[in-house]
Amino acid sequence: MLAARASSARNVQRIARSFATVVETTGVKVAAVDYNQPTTSVTVLVKAGSRFEPKDGVANALKNFAFKSTKTRSALGTVRESELYGGVLTSTLGREHLALTAEFLRGDAPYFVDVLTSFLTSAKFTRHEFEEYVVPLLAAETEAAAHDPATRAIDVAHTLAFRSGLGSSLFPPLHSDITVGDIKSFASTAFTKGNIAVIGTGIDSSTLSSLVEKALANASAGSAASAPASKYFGGETRLEGHAGPQTAFIGFGTTGGSSAELAALAAHLSPAPSVKWSKGLSPLSSLPEGTSVQPVYLPYSDASLFGLLVQGSTSAGVTEAGKAAVSALKAAAQGIKEEELKAAVGKAKFAAASAADTRDGLVNALSSKIFSDSVTSLESTLSALDNVSASAFSKAASSLLNAKPTYVTVGDSKLPFADELGL
Amino acid sequence: MFGPLGYSLAPYIRSSRTLTNWITPIANWYANAMGYRKYGFKYDDLLIEENDQVQRALNRLTPREQYDRAFRLKRASQASVLHAPLAKEEWTPASEDVRYLAPHVKDILKEEQERKLWDNTVVERK
Repeated sequence: MLAARASSARNVQRIARSFATVVETTGVKVAAVDYNQPTTSVTVLVKAGSRFEPKDGVANALKNFAFKSTKTRSALGTVRESELYGGVLTSTLGREHLALTAEFLRGDAPYFVDVLTSFLTSAKFTRHEFEEYVVPLLAAETEAAAHDPATRAIDVAHTLAFRSGLGSSLFPPLHSDITVGDIKSFASTAFTKGNIAVIGTGIDSSTLSSLVEKALANASAGSAASAPASKYFGGETRLEGHAGPQTAFIGFGTTGGSSAELAALAAHLSPAPSVKWSKGLSPLSSLPEGTSVQPVYLPYSDASLFGLLVQGSTSAGVTEAGKAAVSALKAAAQGIKEEELKAAVGKAKFAAASAADTRDGLVNALSSKIFSDSVTSLESTLSALDNVSASAFSKAASSLLNAKPTYVTVGDSKLPFADELGL
Repeated sequence: MFGPLGYSLAPYIRSSRTLTNWITPIANWYANAMGYRKYGFKYDDLLIEENDQVQRALNRLTPREQYDRAFRLKRASQASVLHAPLAKEEWTPASEDVRYLAPHVKDILKEEQERKLWDNTVVERK
């Protein structure tokens, strides 16, 4: 009993300091969290997302060029040596950031930090590697995205909502004319000290910053990239689907960073039940058979996209589920009962806290804040959710509905138009 | 091993200024005397290409280089049919006779060497 109480007290302390502080070493921002996990991960975050790309698909090509030959080691050497250490190397692209991640056993940090940073400082970008390794990957990624209606709908929704900047697609066009020169010049503008941040989990902050300092000592200095501020437009488009379920995406955009009200709204509308075999108590829990509605909330640094992804096996089902989704959103804009709000806030708080439990969630939470220097603790995220009032909640929902909606369908021609759903 | 990728004294000769001054005129005379320039070839066109390494190297040429190489080969075949060298203005000038293929072949040989090394590496715990 006493032991249990002592451990829970320790957990509280842990939560309080669970988000790292940002240290700046020679112009590069470094944050590290250490819970004594058996493995370590280091993520190098570069402001080189699709938002900043000069030409369609270049950011994605740069992502796929990661871990190819550099001045220190060849592509083969990187793979074989990392295998000997038992590490995993991944590169992921977002609309804001390019993330290069290495996960490895504790103590191998010097090698893996060198692998990550040598790509930033001395990548060769050879033409034959582009043609032999990168081009097939680009084609495969575009192909895979084209076969997933949800990915396609959300990607196109971004284009409709924000046009340029955040609107540029994560995936390269099917027939692109990207050359190595394009990638090289994009990399040389993106890989400057002001654009780079390093996030570590399971590693001591001072160890990581000394490693980073040494490795990035001769990276080119430069200020952070800035993109024109996002503006929300909205619109409607219909794409034909090749495979997969009939899909409609009903989206709304706002400018400004992430908001607790929208996170609570997403939790309120989410039909995911808390108990197995139950339908849940969400306003969207009684949908027609074979359809699903999923709230999508994607906050970015200066805008966010909120939406409902409606999927079903038939277009009639999608129409019905879409109508239910829109009316639930409208009802939320009219007002919300106190106990419903409490449930939604609880759900949102749990989602935020349990995301910080996983490595990916922690890196995500830090990456949205690290460049603006305002690393908040989990506490402040949770208390912001606690402070959501019923009036602020419905005001956020109604201001979403006042803007022009972003509406995308992927599938049959019989899928509903926006006005048929009551938008 | 002889031929364009064989053992070569050239790096040693280039490292010494006196030797370079002595040998360069002889080397130029020899390159012209070989006669391939009269048929519009570059030295690297003579590289034996019937092996995997050189085939991969040929794929690494830019489209322009690939086209030019094919053109030189065809033009020289035609000259061979006619039993006569090309007109003098079509001969390869010494300035254009560069090693455009050998660096790629050397890269590929180095990659194969590295792959062999990793395949047979022995790991020791420190």
